[in-house]
Amino acid sequence: MKNLISLDSLTDIVSNSVGILIIFAVINLIHDDSKTYQLEIPIEHATDLSPVFFISKNDRLLPMDTDKLFANATLQATTGAAANKRLFPLDYSGLLGKIDQDKGISFYARDTSEWNEFQEIDKRQSKLRQKFDSINPKTHFAYFFVYDSSEDGSTIGSGFEAFRKAREYLKTRAIKTGWQPVNSDSPTHICDRSFSPLCTYLPSYLGSQ
Amino acid sequence: MKQCLLPSLAKVINSGVHLQKSDIYHEESNPCHHGLPSWLKQSIDLLRKMAISRAKRYALYNQQDKLEISLFPFLSIFLCVMGVLSFINVLSSFSAPQKIELTAQLETGYKVAYQIFNLPDGIISVPPTKYLRKLQESTKNDADKDTIETILQEREAQLIRLANHKGKAMALAKDPDIDDVLTIVRNIRALNEIALRANYLYEEFLLFGIYPNGGQAYQKIRDVMTLTEDSRAISVGLEPLDSNWTLNLKKLNKASK
Repeated sequence: MKNLISLDSLTDIVSNSVGILIIFAVINLIHDDSKTYQLEIPIEHATDLSPVFFISKNDRLLPMDTDKLFANATLQATTGAAANKRLFPLDYSGLLGKIDQDKGISFYARDTSEWNEFQEIDKRQSKLRQKFDSINPKTHFAYFFVYDSSEDGSTIGSGFEAFRKAREYLKTRAIKTGWQPVNSDSPTHICDRSFSPLCTYLPSYLGSQ
Repeated sequence: MKQCLLPSLAKVINSGVHLQKSDIYHEESNPCHHGLPSWLKQSIDLLRKMAISRAKRYALYNQQDKLEISLFPFLSIFLCVMGVLSFINVLSSFSAPQKIELTAQLETGYKVAYQIFNLPDGIISVPPTKYLRKLQESTKNDADKDTIETILQEREAQLIRLANHKGKAMALAKDPDIDDVLTIVRNIRALNEIALRANYLYEEFLLFGIYPNGGQAYQKIRDVMTLTEDSRAISVGLEPLDSNWTLNLKKLNKASK
């Protein structure tokens, strides 16, 4: 038994362990350096293209049919909640509307359960993919209102990832995209530029393009 | 003296474990040691002691019972350590969000970004300085040179403040001040116009990095920008950022040079 006890093997183990830890540390350091991320450089620019609007929230995307939305809003504009500048239902995938003096109609997204999950972009037959494919890059561009947080204030459930995925796909189809962050305090709004300078919806081109 | 000393030392040094106890103890009464310097005597004593301890160790083991080396405990502990480390590594890569550092100096061609990071608590402005000295050299107008110098000094002071900050970079965020925003926009426009006059290919634009819950600060800046004509003359870009994408303030000065 005495023969098995040896300081040499203990030293070996300790030195090997320390060596491995050092190697791990070095690998981590090298790995960390390679994580430096260079931002995309999207720059907004004036265009003759018309926007096709989308809302991105809770990792879901909603194409906005503006004709239908404005028709529904117009029907209610002079009556009930709409007339009193309160939220009113728009009968459009859980969207609520509100007449705003400065920003035209504001759209509030509460319930997103009917919206398309952004993973559907990868499915050829999905409604979302068909909507994207129907955009003509010569006449239109996609504009996203992206929620920067979920309703309860947590960062989980924002629309950032869905927007990035959609932008990536649209880029492959040469469709320009633009976006702006929205939340419950600064909701989605669609209005004419002549109404306010805030009613500007521009596409961006990437600096690398 | 030499004749006595050298064989004695050689015997002690070279004999190693084969040195017999009797040899060593007999050395004590060696008449050759009389009259040696004290340091030499001490050295010989030390060597003797070493030889004795080696001799003692040698005496503990019989020639028949050779020391058996077992690799099993070494390998088992080694593999355990490896396993634990790998497990921790895999676990941390799954649980901890990937940290991504954002570059302080951002440019594409001749377009250089003035970055404004929008956080829930406010904004962090990271101005570009890299090409301003060259722009200053290329312009012949003294007033323009002075304007660039003033802007450059302000920006360098701002970068030093950011770089000297200890602690989390995100703690530097402050509410967007109307005057600050107007100054930023005015300076960008001034620099772009100077570059145009000097025929120097350089254009600054505002790039907003929007963190989760940072939309409020962004909207505030855009509202302020509608108040000035300067903002219509400059380009704007915005990009969504995740909360684990951090700005390395220590690299700011390095990047701006």
